[in-house]
Amino acid sequence: MANFILKRLVYMFITLLIIATITFFLMKLLPGSPLTNQEKLSPAQQQLILDKYGLNDPLPVQYVNYMTNLFKGDLGLSFQYDNRPVTKMIGERIGPSAYLGFQAVLFGTIVGIVLGILAALKQNSVMDYAATTIAVLGISIPSFVFAGLLQYYLAVKYPIFPVAAWEGFEYTVLPTIALSVFVIATVARYMRSELLEVLSSDYIMLARAKGVSSAAIMVKHALRNALIPIITLLGPLAVNIMTGSLVIERIFGIPGIGEQFVRSIMTNDFTVIMGITLFYSVLFIFIVFIVDILYGVIDPRIRLSGGKK
Amino acid sequence: MNVENPDKKIQLQKDLFQPVDKRASQSEKISRPSLNFWQDAWLRLKGNKGAIVGLILITIITFMAIFGPSMNKYTYKQQNISHAKLPPKIAALENVDWLPFDGKDKDGFDMYEAKNVKEYYWFGTDDLGRDLWTRTWYGTRISIYIGVLAAVIDFLIGIAYGGVSGFYGGRVDNVMQRIIEILMGIPHLIVVILFILVFEPGIFSITMAMVITGWVNMARIVRGQFLKLKTQEFVLASRTLGASGSRLIWKHLMPNVMGPIIVTTMFTIPSAIFTEAFLSFIGLGIRPPEASLGSLVNDGFKSLQMYPHMLIIPSVIISLLILSFNLLADGLRDALDPKMRK
Repeated sequence: MANFILKRLVYMFITLLIIATITFFLMKLLPGSPLTNQEKLSPAQQQLILDKYGLNDPLPVQYVNYMTNLFKGDLGLSFQYDNRPVTKMIGERIGPSAYLGFQAVLFGTIVGIVLGILAALKQNSVMDYAATTIAVLGISIPSFVFAGLLQYYLAVKYPIFPVAAWEGFEYTVLPTIALSVFVIATVARYMRSELLEVLSSDYIMLARAKGVSSAAIMVKHALRNALIPIITLLGPLAVNIMTGSLVIERIFGIPGIGEQFVRSIMTNDFTVIMGITLFYSVLFIFIVFIVDILYGVIDPRIRLSGGKK
Repeated sequence: MNVENPDKKIQLQKDLFQPVDKRASQSEKISRPSLNFWQDAWLRLKGNKGAIVGLILITIITFMAIFGPSMNKYTYKQQNISHAKLPPKIAALENVDWLPFDGKDKDGFDMYEAKNVKEYYWFGTDDLGRDLWTRTWYGTRISIYIGVLAAVIDFLIGIAYGGVSGFYGGRVDNVMQRIIEILMGIPHLIVVILFILVFEPGIFSITMAMVITGWVNMARIVRGQFLKLKTQEFVLASRTLGASGSRLIWKHLMPNVMGPIIVTTMFTIPSAIFTEAFLSFIGLGIRPPEASLGSLVNDGFKSLQMYPHMLIIPSVIISLLILSFNLLADGLRDALDPKMRK
């Protein structure tokens, strides 16, 4: 186990280094300089600014500086927002994104599990078809399309919920639903197939033969085993929530990281884009790492050293 | 078996039985035509309603994407400000009340009459007076192009990389797998976004970004299949008979991996279409005046309150497109490889 964690940590480190390096060189490749947007500066003034930010140093020196700054948690300054530190901007906006993300994962997982159980309990019933249809639709309809339709029908046409903004719980309802559709669909699909497999296994038959009630079989034997693989879904779901938040936050006007990211893309605020990219990468790699370890801890049958299927 | 009366004897009469026809030629006769793998898969696919619906929808949408833009006299970038923001109006359907094709806006106000417009815009117009019918199908064209492109990339790079890695094994495999592991660690979308930032947004940079990131999953699957298959007897037999490496790959391994390859490709297409729409939606994809379904949805948001048709029409088309590819892929997975069934 310790060996496995160590190996994964080394991989994590290498991946992060590569991402940071790519980010650095892409920054250098980007067309234009940070000064193109400023008001007219004399060449001397421009040199002064370039010197101040170390942009006249040779490339290797810049690279080393950039890397050391990264390790100190310094992501540079925004071009568009009065030279505010990127780290600070991310820090300010992390709250709404995290809140919305957790709420969506929680809501989506619970609804998905319930749907999956209902579908598996009565295979080929109306309920099963309904759940399967919801699952296929949830995977197929892009989150931004779904968000748009939600906003139009539940906020504009029939004003049940507020259209956009971030001022209280009722403002989180529509974005949470929009974000969690994919979660619901994926979890329901997975839950259904896992549960069907578990329910047809020998130990369930044994429990049934011993006279255990259906409810007890479901809760004590079937669900516990069917729930384990759901943990593997956390990785892909986290990625989906992250990408989803880019558009959902924009549509519903939520002051989160995703909204900042899209805004920065539109205003060519490169340091912010790079900073958020790195932030997302770290988050993603970290989640995958945690999921891998969790999976090994919960289900000892998984061989940690072996490759994935 | 009669459980209640186990002792009761069943009366057997001789005339209940008939001698079995013992002619060898008859017993060996195959009563149904024998099917090869593909015919069998096609039979199973035909039985899957969802997949057939998907296939039909894909055919219709593809047809419209090819011929739709040339069905009326407008081009995708032709602007006519005096005809801006018109709701949909179709000649034959304008008098059907419950259909939204009567040229009236959401308050029941006839915009065509108000602006004195004689022409019919089947899907309405956008805020610059461009015909949305042409733009929608033009955008669909781009979505399908991206989907096909993703499939081709999967095929070319994914199969080659995975095939080499799985077939040669050993150190080659080791190095290639480490590279893949690192690539897998980097979030896909992030790479695509960075790539598009460096080059100009547009169809070329989306294409390039997908070339770099799109094939990893396919490579892993092909490698896994190759590793599994290459130790089997039929490959060993062929090798013993002196078959070359390329013959082994193309004649023996490839046909056996075709099922998973097709299934993986089919799942790549909808996710590629989604990625393009997503990028266009956040302003990184197709640039105006060109249109993509993602950018049309994005434009639709700006006038959501007043002119919902601008949002709803492209939304429905993109959802249908992705849905039908997913349905077909699901069906193909069940038909080609029942073991992968979920």
